[in-house]
Amino acid sequence: MDAAVTRLTYQEIFDLLKQFITDVIGEEFVEEMDIEPQSSFTKDLEMDSIEIVSFSEKIKAHFGKEIDFTGWLSGMDLDQLINLNLDQIIRYIEECQS
Amino acid sequence: MPILNVNGREVHVQELNPEGKETLVLVHGMFSNLSVYYFHIAPVLATTFRVVMYDLKSHGLSGRVAEGYDLNSMSEDLEGLVDVLGLDTFHLAGYSFGGLIALNTALRLEARIRKLVVIEAPDPADEKARGIIDEYSREFLENYVKNYTDTTHVRMGKRQLERNHRMYEYLFYQTSIRRDMQRENDFFIRPELRALDRKTLLVYGDTSNCLDSGRYLHACIPGSELATLSGDHNLPVQEPELLADRLLTFLTT
Repeated sequence: MDAAVTRLTYQEIFDLLKQFITDVIGEEFVEEMDIEPQSSFTKDLEMDSIEIVSFSEKIKAHFGKEIDFTGWLSGMDLDQLINLNLDQIIRYIEECQS
Repeated sequence: MPILNVNGREVHVQELNPEGKETLVLVHGMFSNLSVYYFHIAPVLATTFRVVMYDLKSHGLSGRVAEGYDLNSMSEDLEGLVDVLGLDTFHLAGYSFGGLIALNTALRLEARIRKLVVIEAPDPADEKARGIIDEYSREFLENYVKNYTDTTHVRMGKRQLERNHRMYEYLFYQTSIRRDMQRENDFFIRPELRALDRKTLLVYGDTSNCLDSGRYLHACIPGSELATLSGDHNLPVQEPELLADRLLTFLTT
């Protein structure tokens, strides 16, 4: 598949990640939240580590070998992981697509 | 392959580097899940090994099961998983209660185990370890979470706390976990431990209240190595990189 055809915009990646979060934590919780690019996983979205695992797997399943998401996460220390927000992931995916 | 059917039950499994020549299976501790390895420890080990992580029954995203929390049943679950994965031989590492499961599995399946790593496994007869099992309350969870936050700086939100509370309540009041663990009091005095013939690494925190258990196992298991790293019982969260490096060195030399 031509990567240029499948390249997603910032907004499209954001929408996709929002959908993944909804799949993982359930619509009833997402409805109560205002998910924004600056939302952090643990503080704002209150996702626990096993939910972030599921979220990571969705990203890996969607983008395949195009991105090494687990490898990217493993380069972060615990504080960085706790403060990780959607914007950082979107920018990382954008970088991998370019 | 997130959910596998093992002996008719749903088991949440994650793997890294599926092309790895040798496989390492990682077992998490009680009231935890595979995420204790997923973010920092498994990726380091996956530079060399195929790494398989799974959620114990009623933990993480695996299915709920009312019975079978004694070490032999937990080992049978692990054996069922490695059979489904078609693993003839494998390295095995476990943390805390998962360390006991790994050790018990090594006693049962010695010929299939390449090397064994036991991290922070407590003596099941130890009162401090048993205290958690004997008594559970909402206050206990809140204290447990506070202590966990103090020593690891990981905070739990309200929804996370509720999720954990539901899991703990299920495990404590609707499963046989307490009864089953009480039956394991004699595990450390089993004579088979002294005859275990596998390269074994024991890793404990230098300020852990389980360190004496590590020293005891070191004296018991012939040729075992005891490594102490800076930290307490929450070692995999406090020092994941150090721990992963120590495991990698042991497993590759």
